[in-house]
Amino acid sequence: MAALVRALRAGHGAGRALRERPRVLAPQCVQKRTFHGAALRMQDESKCDKAASAAASANHHVHHNFQQVPTEDAVSEQTSDEGHRPSSSFQEQNGEQDEEYETEEQLQARILSAALQFVPVHGWSMEAIAAGAESLGLSSASTGMFSGAGDLVLHFIADCNSQLIQILAEQQKQVQLGQAEPKKTADFLKDAVETRLRMYAPYIETWPQAMSLLLLPQNIPEGLKLLSSLVDDMWYYAGDRSTDMNWYTKRAALTGIYNTTELVMVQDSSPDFQETWDFLHNRIQDVVNMANTAKQVQSTGEAVVQGLVGAAVTLKNLTGINQRR
Amino acid sequence: KFSNQSVGLIYSRCHSVIPPPRDNDEKEMLDRMLRVDHAGEYGANRIYAGQMAILRRSQTGPLIQEMWNQEKKHLERFNEILAENRVRPTALLPLWNIAGFVLGASTALLGKEGAMACTVAVEESITEHYNSQIRTLMEKDPERYTEFLQVIKEFRDDEMEHHDTGLEHDAESIPGYWLLKTAIQLGCKVAISVSQRI
Repeated sequence: MAALVRALRAGHGAGRALRERPRVLAPQCVQKRTFHGAALRMQDESKCDKAASAAASANHHVHHNFQQVPTEDAVSEQTSDEGHRPSSSFQEQNGEQDEEYETEEQLQARILSAALQFVPVHGWSMEAIAAGAESLGLSSASTGMFSGAGDLVLHFIADCNSQLIQILAEQQKQVQLGQAEPKKTADFLKDAVETRLRMYAPYIETWPQAMSLLLLPQNIPEGLKLLSSLVDDMWYYAGDRSTDMNWYTKRAALTGIYNTTELVMVQDSSPDFQETWDFLHNRIQDVVNMANTAKQVQSTGEAVVQGLVGAAVTLKNLTGINQRR
Repeated sequence: KFSNQSVGLIYSRCHSVIPPPRDNDEKEMLDRMLRVDHAGEYGANRIYAGQMAILRRSQTGPLIQEMWNQEKKHLERFNEILAENRVRPTALLPLWNIAGFVLGASTALLGKEGAMACTVAVEESITEHYNSQIRTLMEKDPERYTEFLQVIKEFRDDEMEHHDTGLEHDAESIPGYWLLKTAIQLGCKVAISVSQRI
């Protein structure tokens, strides 16, 4: 166990060294795939390193130095190769080459997707990401690519959002083809929010932790962007085409409903989150009622204004001010 | 059955105006353009509403009403385009609602010439704005934005016509014409630059 921890720590340290090293060696060669290749290499090294440290259990400094020297070589090898590589790879695009030349974003997404299965065990943490990377046959040092566990949460949310869009787009298609009845807006939104929140169900035990990660300053901008695009998508597929202030009020109302329902959900212990869906239903009904009231107030207001104008004209006529000039 | 068809027609027609964006930069650029155009037409509508509130019964009433009707069509068109392209309208609409109405009503209180001077100033700003958009789009890719360019050109010509109508109806005869015009156009410039972003 101690050996494993040490191997991990060494791997992590080396990973950090890796991130900094290429910049020193050849700044123009800092490319995404360099890291990928190095990460693959790292995996082999950390394997033999585990064995070595288990056998010898040498002290930390020696161990560290041993780890870093081959890494440096690996990097310089990779970077010096960079110059003539890409041209050949563009010509022969077989599966293996594509695999190796995936972008950093794609690799990150792959690692994070794999990490999700470890969330129930490790929580929303770097450990889960490391476990995900290892399950793909990569070194746990590749966690160095991520700025924190927040990346995992944001990736999961973006993933859920695009899943929801697919579902809603499918529904819309069926309605257009006449295979399904169009829903009322309130029902549509309720179903959309429920579908979306149900995606959290497998992770509900650890979701409060994810929510707290989203509140960290570095995660707030991205989190808000995802939330606003989610709400925007829901309204779009609900058939909203407003281009006035309703655009804002509608989104604000739905954002409020979504967030409060999410909070209810993480505290809900009823079977199948029944209380959450009841809460959601009531909140949506509130908004519908409020909109109706607003409409009534508006029409009443218009009637009152018309009455006042009429009264003013009558008064003018009575007093004789209204004669044409 | 019929309603379905007409919805389909509107849908397909709107889609052809703006090409599907290639990347985020293009989307951002088009969004800004559409947002500010929409805000501009909305503001123009409110200005004419303000003028009509004062001059409805006067002799120039029908003339203003005619120009207003055209602006209403423009606004409707931008409403369609914005909705289909999922562009966020500017958050300052309530401000333009009030500011436009107040501007229209207060210049109309100076008399028919005041209203016309206001029209000339505003329409000149809008024309200039549309022209600069046309220039930008032509520089980028005239082929790609043919439909959108057509819409803007058509609207620009309408605005130019309003501008000329204003001049024909003694806009310049109001005392302090230059000052009034400069002040209004300064306001328009601020409104345009703010509405692109917010």
